[in-house]
Amino acid sequence: MIRGQRKKDVEPTVLLGVTSVSRGRVALFLVLVPLLLSGSLLMGPSGIGLPAIETPVGAAILNLRLSRMVMGLLVGSALSVSGVVFQAILRNPLAEPYVLGVSGGAGLGAAVAILFGAVAAIPLSLPVSAFFAAVVTLGIVYWMASRGSGGAPSVYSLILSGVIVSAICSSVIMFLVSTASAEGLHNVIWWMLGNLQPVALEQRLLAGVLIGLGFMVTWMLAMRFNALTLGREMAHYQGMNADLVIFAGLLSATLMAATAVSIGGMIGFVGLIVPHVTRAMFGADHRWLVPLSAVAGGVFLVLCDAFARTIFAPVEMPVGVITALVGGPFFLLILQRKMKHAWVA
Amino acid sequence: MHGWRKMSDMECAHEVGVRDAALALENVTAGYPGHEVLRGMTMQVRQGEFVVLIGPNGCGKSTLLKTASGLLQPSSGSVRLSGRDVAGLKPRERARLLGVVPQKVESPMAYTVAEIVMNGRTGASMPWQGLKDEDYVIMERAMIYTNVLSLADRYFTELSGGEQQRVILAMVLAQEPEMIMLDESISHLDINHRYEVLRILRRMNRDHGLTVVLVSHDLTLSSEIADRMILMHEGRVQASGLAAEVLRADILSRVYDCELLVQHDALTGTVNVSGVLDGTGPDGNASRSVHVIAGGGTGIELYRRLGVYGFRVTTGVLNRMDSDAEAARALGIEAVLDLPFSAISPEAAEDAAALACQADVVVLAPVPFGSGNLVNMEILRRALRCGKEVWIADGVAERDYTEGKAAAAAAAELVSDGARLWNSSHELLLELRSMEV
Repeated sequence: MIRGQRKKDVEPTVLLGVTSVSRGRVALFLVLVPLLLSGSLLMGPSGIGLPAIETPVGAAILNLRLSRMVMGLLVGSALSVSGVVFQAILRNPLAEPYVLGVSGGAGLGAAVAILFGAVAAIPLSLPVSAFFAAVVTLGIVYWMASRGSGGAPSVYSLILSGVIVSAICSSVIMFLVSTASAEGLHNVIWWMLGNLQPVALEQRLLAGVLIGLGFMVTWMLAMRFNALTLGREMAHYQGMNADLVIFAGLLSATLMAATAVSIGGMIGFVGLIVPHVTRAMFGADHRWLVPLSAVAGGVFLVLCDAFARTIFAPVEMPVGVITALVGGPFFLLILQRKMKHAWVA
Repeated sequence: MHGWRKMSDMECAHEVGVRDAALALENVTAGYPGHEVLRGMTMQVRQGEFVVLIGPNGCGKSTLLKTASGLLQPSSGSVRLSGRDVAGLKPRERARLLGVVPQKVESPMAYTVAEIVMNGRTGASMPWQGLKDEDYVIMERAMIYTNVLSLADRYFTELSGGEQQRVILAMVLAQEPEMIMLDESISHLDINHRYEVLRILRRMNRDHGLTVVLVSHDLTLSSEIADRMILMHEGRVQASGLAAEVLRADILSRVYDCELLVQHDALTGTVNVSGVLDGTGPDGNASRSVHVIAGGGTGIELYRRLGVYGFRVTTGVLNRMDSDAEAARALGIEAVLDLPFSAISPEAAEDAAALACQADVVVLAPVPFGSGNLVNMEILRRALRCGKEVWIADGVAERDYTEGKAAAAAAAELVSDGARLWNSSHELLLELRSMEV
């Protein structure tokens, strides 16, 4: 038999194991992660370098830094994965975890809890009220958006309802703040800027479980997010329940964002920019984008927090200020060179 | 080997009932709230058939595709894919039965070609498992069929329109559907790429029994490739059959509401459909004049088409600021005008009657009647008495809002006195043009 003919019977294998990401880049990234994380452990207001672990004070400091690192990983990964989901479902580069009113709702819940004295009286009232207010706000936004379209909401009505509800929430917050005492005002503003002071262990564990749950759902849906970026109709044609995927995606993304906000306050920038940079570096395939941006978001926030507590020590900067101030120029540089690998111009 | 079924499975596919048809619509009514697009549509596509769906814009072709794929729920009637109700199908099963290539696919994110094609395997894979080797083999086969394998690492958006279309086709073929529907997706391609896509489709059809439904505006090209053509009009099937049976000048001219020429090529068996460019100019009609009685935008179409065919047009009575009055002014048509938003005055009616009696023909547009413009019927009566030919848009009763249906009664009386009724402006123009001077 002629060779050329035999070749036709061979199963094609060119695409087998097709990988959209550069393996070298992923490897480099994964080597950098532990280095950066241990670097962050060396930074703190008590001085740069490893604290003396043998003394009780040193051990306590290291313990505190570790706790903050866990906080940063949790909050940072939750926000950036949530941002990935919102950008995929809403097909919009401006989407971020707070776009559907999570920030407005959580902020309102927190402001009410702080200003009406619940925080001082009832333990955990701040994170709980922030969390539930955020989830309720998403419910309202989703309900408002679906009413107009009769059934599943369109992307545009979701975005618009989100913006409107957020605006209403921030107006109410401003009203509350304007009538509050100086101390209450300071507390609300400080909370809204976000910080990674370690919360109680149980609370951290619960947050870890919720964020882990959201992450698993998101990762499982990763391929479907790829299909959804071609639009709801095309996703439907490809054999998936597009409305269900959109709903599950929005729900898990909001869950992650609300959990992050409830333990870390409203830290901005991470959920918007980290997904973009990860996409620019590793491509837009969500099967890789979801886990990689989780790691990237976590590490980025941990580093920012290390800077926030070190630069003006002993005064601590709100980490939300550092994220944009330090991360902004750095990420701008990356995006400038790599944007065409992320979004279509 | 897995993959598309071979032709041998398809050999007895010809005599099949509704249950076995690849796609069967029965008396389907579907559309959008307050606007029905499909109106009692019944059609079948047999397995292994290559059907081209044609019809004027807005006849419901895209709605048909959305209904067939379960994206749009019909308000009544049944839609079946391979004998199974489409609403009851799991998304995964539906994707195996039907793949859809929409008019345009856009991705805001920068995906490579391989990543785009991968989407075709989404429905087949469970959320908790990734793609298996088998999936990659299927993807690759689809990319070989469509000749895009060499583009695998290129960015989708950097490709030309023809390449993008083949990539989308590869993505849909990677679903391994039994039937594929294409929604005018090749209309914007150049002739080379158009034929390339058609060749791929025909090969999939002939070699693998893939059922193809292609929505197309290119009637000539369609006639070359179709086993059967289906002509849609106003949400229903108007004609169905071989190209020669469907592409007939009388049917097409009525459906598309314009004059069309159909030529059969005895050598290749293709049917060539073309519009008429000559003859739309002033072809001796200039000497003849038509007076149009309109209002509320009902006359614009008539003004334009009469003008195109070279008739001298007059109109009236129109209220100032009425959209017909604006159109008449823009087209330079002599018009009798009256005060806006008020009943027609006797003086204006007198002027209009004079104009009507100067014209050769008087046409009444499908204008709704109220007490304010009932006097138009009087103008028509006078024109008829002057010996003019009078054409009345049919269905006066349905748009008659006068007390006691006075307009409908007047119209009936006019018809009994010799006025004629018209339905489509295309037919009316044919009549007017064949009229003796």
